[in-house]
Amino acid sequence: MTGADRRRERLPAPGPATPRLDARAALRGLVGFLLALAFWFGFSRAYESTIAAGAELVSNVFESPDVTRLDAKGGEILLDRRDFPPGSARPGLSGPDIHFNFVLLAALFALDRRPLRSAHVARFLAAAAALWIIHVVALVFQIHSVYATSLGAWSLANYGKVARNFWAAGWHFYLIAGRFAAPFALWWFFGRREEDLSPERSPIRKKKRKS
Amino acid sequence: MSEASNEARRRSVGFLLRFVALLVVFYFIVASRPVNDKVIVPFTAGIASVSGRLLNVLGEKAEVSGTEIRSSSFGVNIENGCNGVETGLLFGAAVLAFPARWSRRLIGLIVGFLAIQVLNLVRVITLFWIGLHRPALFSSSHTVIWQSVVVLFGVLLFLLWASRERRLSEAPSTTVGDRPRKG
Repeated sequence: MTGADRRRERLPAPGPATPRLDARAALRGLVGFLLALAFWFGFSRAYESTIAAGAELVSNVFESPDVTRLDAKGGEILLDRRDFPPGSARPGLSGPDIHFNFVLLAALFALDRRPLRSAHVARFLAAAAALWIIHVVALVFQIHSVYATSLGAWSLANYGKVARNFWAAGWHFYLIAGRFAAPFALWWFFGRREEDLSPERSPIRKKKRKS
Repeated sequence: MSEASNEARRRSVGFLLRFVALLVVFYFIVASRPVNDKVIVPFTAGIASVSGRLLNVLGEKAEVSGTEIRSSSFGVNIENGCNGVETGLLFGAAVLAFPARWSRRLIGLIVGFLAIQVLNLVRVITLFWIGLHRPALFSSSHTVIWQSVVVLFGVLLFLLWASRERRLSEAPSTTVGDRPRKG
């Protein structure tokens, strides 16, 4: 083997296609971000009520008797158990910490060359629905994290060590990594289409080759 | 569905699975007590220290104690989620999940992490200023606007790096030895 052969190093296969980030894409992303921000400020309270209802439903399915009640008020989701002593404080869970990442999802979808074409909007709605499910699951984890770690002797009596760690770590994962990664992962799965992004496969390029 | 389309889909899903797996691994590393106490907390205290110095240069009288920045009327504690590490994890997991040569990954990781930290310093300083002078805007600026901006910046950095990587990988010379030489 010659020295040149030894230096010869195969490059990895090309990775998945990514959208072209030029000035226009940046402008679309900025406009998408601002519109999503305005939408979020306008509708986050209503949205919070829907994820509170979803999380209450999921929690109740696994409770007997069903005691968890959630009440979304002014950016906070009040956690109320029917068996809490009357007059005791109700923990308030921050709503925006869970669902602000909708803004990220919308901004990423806005990067597309034609963000308003119906197929792209449909994919955005599918991703937003998936994000809603993630928000409900995250809220369920937060509720159980409070039950398992914040209610003193009651927590110790009702949650074992493994269960405490499971619920607390699940909620912590969402706070540290999940809420930031979820919009990116959903956009990657729903919003990107290789055939739209790969120049070598675009119909325009094929036509040019034929001529 | 064509063979090429299937292949593209396979690469795309493969990237996503590697990304999620790496993110979970990174989370457990960062969340472990020894790493948190010996790396993350001192690193966050460093961010607070640099931010405090910059705030003083800008004319705000700020004192730093550990991860806290305080003035006479306002104070913030920089916690996990506000130190840029979370965006660094996201960026790092994406870069490592994307097919590329290790040397280019390393350069991407270093440059990207530094860029994210510079933006995060701007975020901390801006938020402290808002808390001091426009406290009514602090909550939404902190939770929604700046968090989204920093994470979006991290994602865009990755996309820039990845598109460059893809261009290099698709270049006519597929091996290093095939590259044309000057002269």
